[in-house]
Amino acid sequence: MIDPYYLQQLAIGLSQGVIYALMAIGFTLIFGVLNVVNFAHGEVYTVGAFAGLLLITAFAPPFLVVLFAVLAFGAALGFGLERIAFKPFRRFSDEASLKSRAMRESTLMSSLAVSIVVREGLEIGFGSQMQTLPFDYLINKPIELGPVTIVTGDVIIFAVAAVMLGGLQYLLKRTRIGLSIRAVSANPLGAKYVGIDTDRTIITTFALGSMMGAGAGILVGLYYGAIFPAMGFVPGIKAFVAMVMGGLSSIPGAVVCALLLGLSEGLATTFISSNWADMVAYGFLIVTLIFFPQGLFGAGRERV
Amino acid sequence: MSEFVRGRLVPLLVLLVVFALVPYGLAKFGKGYFFQVAQLVLIYALLAVSLHLVTGAAGLLHLGHAAFYGVGAYVAALLGTEMKLGFLWGLPAAGLAAAALAFVVALPTMRLVSIYFAVATLAIGQMIHTVLLNWVAVTKGPNGVMLFSGITLFGTPVKSPIAIYFLVAGLVALSIWVLHRLSHSYYGNALRSLREDDQCADAMGVDTVRLKIEVFTVSAFFAGIAGALWAYTTGYVSPGDFGFNTSILVLAMIVVGGLGSLPGAIIGAALLILLPEVLRGVGDLRNVMVGIVMFVSILFLPRGLLGEVSALSLVRRGFGLKWGAAPSDREVGWR
Amino acid sequence: MSLLEIENVTRRFGGLVAVDGVTTRVEAGELVGLIGPNGAGKTTLFNLISGFTPLSAGAVRFKGEPIQGLKPHRIAARGMSRTFQNLRVFPNMSVFDNVSVGAVGAMGQSAFAAVFGRRARADAISARTWEALERVGLGGVAEDLAANLSYGKRKYLEIARALAMKPELLILDEPAAGLNDSETADLARFIRSLNGEGLSIMLVEHDMNLVMGICSRVVVLASGRKIADAEPAAVRADPAVLEAYLGVDE
Repeated sequence: MIDPYYLQQLAIGLSQGVIYALMAIGFTLIFGVLNVVNFAHGEVYTVGAFAGLLLITAFAPPFLVVLFAVLAFGAALGFGLERIAFKPFRRFSDEASLKSRAMRESTLMSSLAVSIVVREGLEIGFGSQMQTLPFDYLINKPIELGPVTIVTGDVIIFAVAAVMLGGLQYLLKRTRIGLSIRAVSANPLGAKYVGIDTDRTIITTFALGSMMGAGAGILVGLYYGAIFPAMGFVPGIKAFVAMVMGGLSSIPGAVVCALLLGLSEGLATTFISSNWADMVAYGFLIVTLIFFPQGLFGAGRERV
Repeated sequence: MSEFVRGRLVPLLVLLVVFALVPYGLAKFGKGYFFQVAQLVLIYALLAVSLHLVTGAAGLLHLGHAAFYGVGAYVAALLGTEMKLGFLWGLPAAGLAAAALAFVVALPTMRLVSIYFAVATLAIGQMIHTVLLNWVAVTKGPNGVMLFSGITLFGTPVKSPIAIYFLVAGLVALSIWVLHRLSHSYYGNALRSLREDDQCADAMGVDTVRLKIEVFTVSAFFAGIAGALWAYTTGYVSPGDFGFNTSILVLAMIVVGGLGSLPGAIIGAALLILLPEVLRGVGDLRNVMVGIVMFVSILFLPRGLLGEVSALSLVRRGFGLKWGAAPSDREVGWR
Repeated sequence: MSLLEIENVTRRFGGLVAVDGVTTRVEAGELVGLIGPNGAGKTTLFNLISGFTPLSAGAVRFKGEPIQGLKPHRIAARGMSRTFQNLRVFPNMSVFDNVSVGAVGAMGQSAFAAVFGRRARADAISARTWEALERVGLGGVAEDLAANLSYGKRKYLEIARALAMKPELLILDEPAAGLNDSETADLARFIRSLNGEGLSIMLVEHDMNLVMGICSRVVVLASGRKIADAEPAAVRADPAVLEAYLGVDE
């Protein structure tokens, strides 16, 4: 019989992994269509949490309303982010430069710049300390499951993530816009030539990815009861790691790796202090890069 | 004006400003705060130029440069407090420690390309930062290390702020001169060929992996030197100064100045250190300014304030690099 | 001993045999053409020789020494330089700096020498760069950015970069691709004059007229196999070659 303590840690790690997965999907979707890394993704997560916080303090709506409002807000954020940090650098969308190196590098820098401005702006507005949430909203009511105690948040995060993942799969595989997202990922120019509106597809992808990121942000905020301007940085990096480990363009790969990361961090804290747990993710990343340069689930894609 | 002087007008002017005008101003109006800002500009100029070599010239997006800066700072500070080793030992030790660490991490990672390289350096930077933050037994953790001993040169303590300024300026100028020689030479051309097309450089007989490891190590050496200078001049190191934000700040400097441009890196460093100080009255806008300046410059000045092409021709003219056998007096080669 | 000996060279990609037991050679001073229909394995063979693709089987000897398994830059350093099928100049570097990379690659400049070195080495690199530039007639645009050159001039730039290495064997991958007839004729004259100066050249080409016009020997590949290896006139008359070319839609 496994010590319940480990099961407990597994449960914690799993919900952490689910959060990483939600963020990693956003990264992966955006990387897929544009071959760029969106460094502002962590800030979408933070802003999502802050939006939820403001909503709660102003109107105190029920949980589901908060969640849906934040998701909608996240989509809008994605739209704005694409317009501000990415669109201006796609000056030549009709040429082969759609995924060019220059575009990749300048959008990487511009999204980095936007993320700095957002994070520091939030710090000026709210201060760098943690914001407290009304106790009623926190999703950490304990649930006894035999020897293991989980909290409502674990269940909620898992359920929300499952719904979002399912929805995304449906969207990608069964709908027209999903088809165009996949087409643009596979071959942006080809997609353009067969009449797909690449611009619209890219925006939709940003909206989708940011929606999930913002959703993850508010869920974590309610789970830990802590919202602060720099909260997006660490999960952002972990999600990035998961994307790279998953092979950059594989959503299932990213999800599996995100869960793996969360679980191993959860278990790692039982052996080493939680301060060092971050090393696990970075160690994983380095080992993956060295031994599996295409990612664990990469499909032999060109190394970009 | 002699040919020699005319050919070197720009660097001579810069040296004049750094070694005469600024110290004069500091001595006249000098409060401790101005000295600190001046030294900060110098240290960040060195950091930016060392990153220029890896990211600007060789085109390897390095997102963990601050970690090597931190290693240098900690080595200098810890040697001073724990081993009672002074400046003359601490400074080279800091550079060598950072370089040795960079060499070890470079061996397996330098085969990675583009975004994979960027992620790997990001992870390495974060790992080093985590160690600085949590290895309390050695680094004193979040509290940081106080270094009271100051700078002693050959048994003489260097105490006056102006003397310390000259020492820092001299060391930074020497370091930047070395980096300039690396960047503005045929060695530099080989580095730029890695950025442009490393496979093709390989076919030209350039040992790309070795060159990448070399340049990464050299760059970390100078980041370590910059870290030691920071430790000696401020007397206090703490992990917060060497995190991801610092890496990004240095990256922003070379982007704003112009990727691939060494003079641009110096301009970028001066701008991004001085601008927030000037705007101090407006409120704590320092970091937001970094982001805004970076964004605006990427959008409106994609080549930076002083782009690579103009920077190279400026350096060629500025150093009188006429090449004798060239038809007429075309300034195209390196010496 | 031939300058370059290719012996039973084979390359498999999964189940596909791209190059299948090809044996041929390049003598010192020879100008050899390598032709074949699309997908015959010409570029793969070039990549095998220059070290970009590892061999599945066989051996490559250059100046009598085996070079298979060596990294491309090691092979280049031994005196074999190549150009690429789709122009690969360094776009954001000046024409002079582009060519200088070839000279640095062949002569070397260590970091230490770059910082403290005497000027002799740098001057020698400059001299060699100028020599190569003048040889292809690009001396006048030495300061221009490579990206701003016309397509035709970039072709010569790539050749100049390879020449700056002072190679003993120059391998050109489809140098005439994308050029019009008069440009191709100029290029043919140029390649011939290089060969006339004693440089051994191997060239892959689609343009039959170019190859037949200047090469002293022609090797024909089809589906990864060598089907002919003779003088141009003999190859032209070879029924196997005609069949290979007519059998596919060329």
